[in-house]
Amino acid sequence: MADATAIPSTLPAPDPTHAASVFTPINVLLLSLFGILVYFRLRPSAPQTLPRAPPATVFRTFTPPTLFPYNGLNSMPVYLAVRGRVFDVTSGRNFYGPGGPYANFAGRDASRGLACGSFDEDMLTKDLDGPLDTLEDLDAEQMEALRGWEERFDEKYLVVGKLVPVGSPEADETKA
Amino acid sequence: MAGLLEQLDGAISGLLTGWNVYTTALAFSIVGFLGWIIYDSADADTHPLLLARQAQASYVRQPRESAVYRAPETPHGYPLRTGLAVRPPGTPMYSAGKDGDLRDIWRRVTGEIPLEKGATSTGTAHIMTVFGKEGVTQHKVDDITMEIAIAGKHLQDRGATRVAIYLPNSLEFLCALFAGAFYGFTPILIPYNQPHLTLVELLVQTGADALIAEAGSVPLAEVSQGASSLRSIIWTVEKTSRHMDWSEVPEGIGGKMDVAVWHELVQEQKSIHATLPSTPAKPPGVVFLWQEAVGKHAETVEFTQQKLTAAVGALITSLPLAHRLNASDTFLPADTFTHSYCLCLTLAALFSHATVIIQSVAGPGVDLTLAARSIAPTVAVVSAETAAKLHSTTKESTTSALQKFAHYVETRMLTAGRLPTDTFLTKLIAPARASIGTTPGKLRLLFVSERQGLNTPPLSSEDLSDLRIYTKARIAYALTTAKVAGAVAQTNIYDYRREEKPSTKHSHFGVPLSCVEIKLKDTPQLETTDEQSMGELVVTGSSVAGGQAFLGVNATIRDDHTLAYA
Repeated sequence: MADATAIPSTLPAPDPTHAASVFTPINVLLLSLFGILVYFRLRPSAPQTLPRAPPATVFRTFTPPTLFPYNGLNSMPVYLAVRGRVFDVTSGRNFYGPGGPYANFAGRDASRGLACGSFDEDMLTKDLDGPLDTLEDLDAEQMEALRGWEERFDEKYLVVGKLVPVGSPEADETKA
Repeated sequence: MAGLLEQLDGAISGLLTGWNVYTTALAFSIVGFLGWIIYDSADADTHPLLLARQAQASYVRQPRESAVYRAPETPHGYPLRTGLAVRPPGTPMYSAGKDGDLRDIWRRVTGEIPLEKGATSTGTAHIMTVFGKEGVTQHKVDDITMEIAIAGKHLQDRGATRVAIYLPNSLEFLCALFAGAFYGFTPILIPYNQPHLTLVELLVQTGADALIAEAGSVPLAEVSQGASSLRSIIWTVEKTSRHMDWSEVPEGIGGKMDVAVWHELVQEQKSIHATLPSTPAKPPGVVFLWQEAVGKHAETVEFTQQKLTAAVGALITSLPLAHRLNASDTFLPADTFTHSYCLCLTLAALFSHATVIIQSVAGPGVDLTLAARSIAPTVAVVSAETAAKLHSTTKESTTSALQKFAHYVETRMLTAGRLPTDTFLTKLIAPARASIGTTPGKLRLLFVSERQGLNTPPLSSEDLSDLRIYTKARIAYALTTAKVAGAVAQTNIYDYRREEKPSTKHSHFGVPLSCVEIKLKDTPQLETTDEQSMGELVVTGSSVAGGQAFLGVNATIRDDHTLAYA
């Protein structure tokens, strides 16, 4: 009892990893989280862009044979001509496209049909290589109806070309 | 299953036992960083997709031409802007308004025609002049109206029809311009500081029969000999030289030349209380001279009043509603009034009842710091030379790395779409700023004009972005040309985008003004296809001399529908 034995130390031995405790797993996790947040904040962002707008349609001079394919078949747009002006009626495909009630007008000169209010076959010019329909034999009432239709077309659809007969000087110009 | 959950639980608690003081510090810093992100982020000044497609293209294009492009405020199918939409007092509130001419602009300045509903002002515009270091002099609008009436009556009595104005920017310049509209003569605006020979040539070329010039700046003998159609002269004399007698005519000129002195005319007729006539006749146009530098060849362009007012109206509405010129603005034209862009913007400022500061230190290459040294402008018009000079001097003065870092931080803010403001960070580390005006930070809008075809220094989008940081103001870069009053195109003031690898030395010019529409015609070298629009720039509209002008420069419309040189 009188022996001076060393008092066993009750203090815990110093933890050998205490000095490097900055790299505990939780610290590494939070440090990487911080790094990711800083990276996302400082990363330069590309300016927002829109895809390029669809190119404008080129105004064309059509003859009846060249206008004929534009009737909605083979994924072609739907055009029709009224008094020498060609309208793009693809947005009215339900009416003028294939299978629609007015499908006869697609790709053709529809002036007489609109004036007379009929979409029979005999309203369209048979001979595509011949001269255009002059509409001379229509009376005032029918011309009035035609003008009304033309105004509605002007408001709804885009004019994408003009129609000239085969053999006219303007038609030859476009061929050149 | 239970074993998996226990393993997971053990792993998480093992992870969390390593929590120590460093972990707490990291957690607080993450929370603080997130808090700062939330505090600092704000919406961009405008939606970025609005900048991604700016002008409106037509859906159909003629062969060998590009589509027609217009400003978004006057889309296809609607008429272009043709004037100021002036509504004299007494007309119903929502009527369309007339186009107006310079007389209506002056009537608005005097308060005879009130501002639009909702705009507040003191009732008139304010005009001040600055001469050197003397300080700012305020002029009463009634006195200026009287000077217009006196000068106009004098010239009308002498039978002058084409009056050449050879003055630096001054009050007399504006008086003579407005007098031309009221009294029926055509002002010919000759750029100041020409060599005498060139001045005589220009007087002959434009067919002037009267001249208003600064006393002592023009050798009367030479000029009257060279320009034989000249009949009357009015000298404007600065205050320090008024003791001399300027009304005497040197021998050899004879009685054909009538000489008068401006301040003497005003003095004599002050008591008559002259008022402006109100004739319904259409006032004649204004002649502008487009010249690369003094002494060189000049192109003469005559604009009718309607073209000028179309340009003024379009420039007013080219700014978004929140940033338009209003009665609380101080407007400084630091470019000469003989440039139609600067003149139209000055007329726009007068039309909006802003305070216009006229000073003679104004021209293509003037130093903006010098021009604004005794005033604090909020809006300024400068030429590309002035902007380039401002940019290079401020860039050279950025030396320290801290300033460069602050500049970099503010450039990032601009790229994110916001104009950098003064926060506590910038008070600690400020980037280089150009000192403009007596009170720093008041400048809010800077109009920079590029004169097409006259070899003006190019400003790239990097330069413009740097200028936004140096001046802490929004910048509008405009393309101006001889045959178009005002400008052809002007950038959106919210467009802070920079190009990493620009294809041309000039930045893009934004959208056309609402009074013009532009298209590109194919040339042998450049053509328009489905992928690109390139060609010679053609401008049509209500502010174009002759209705349509071929500018003779190759341009392209980029994917975001803005105009740029090819």
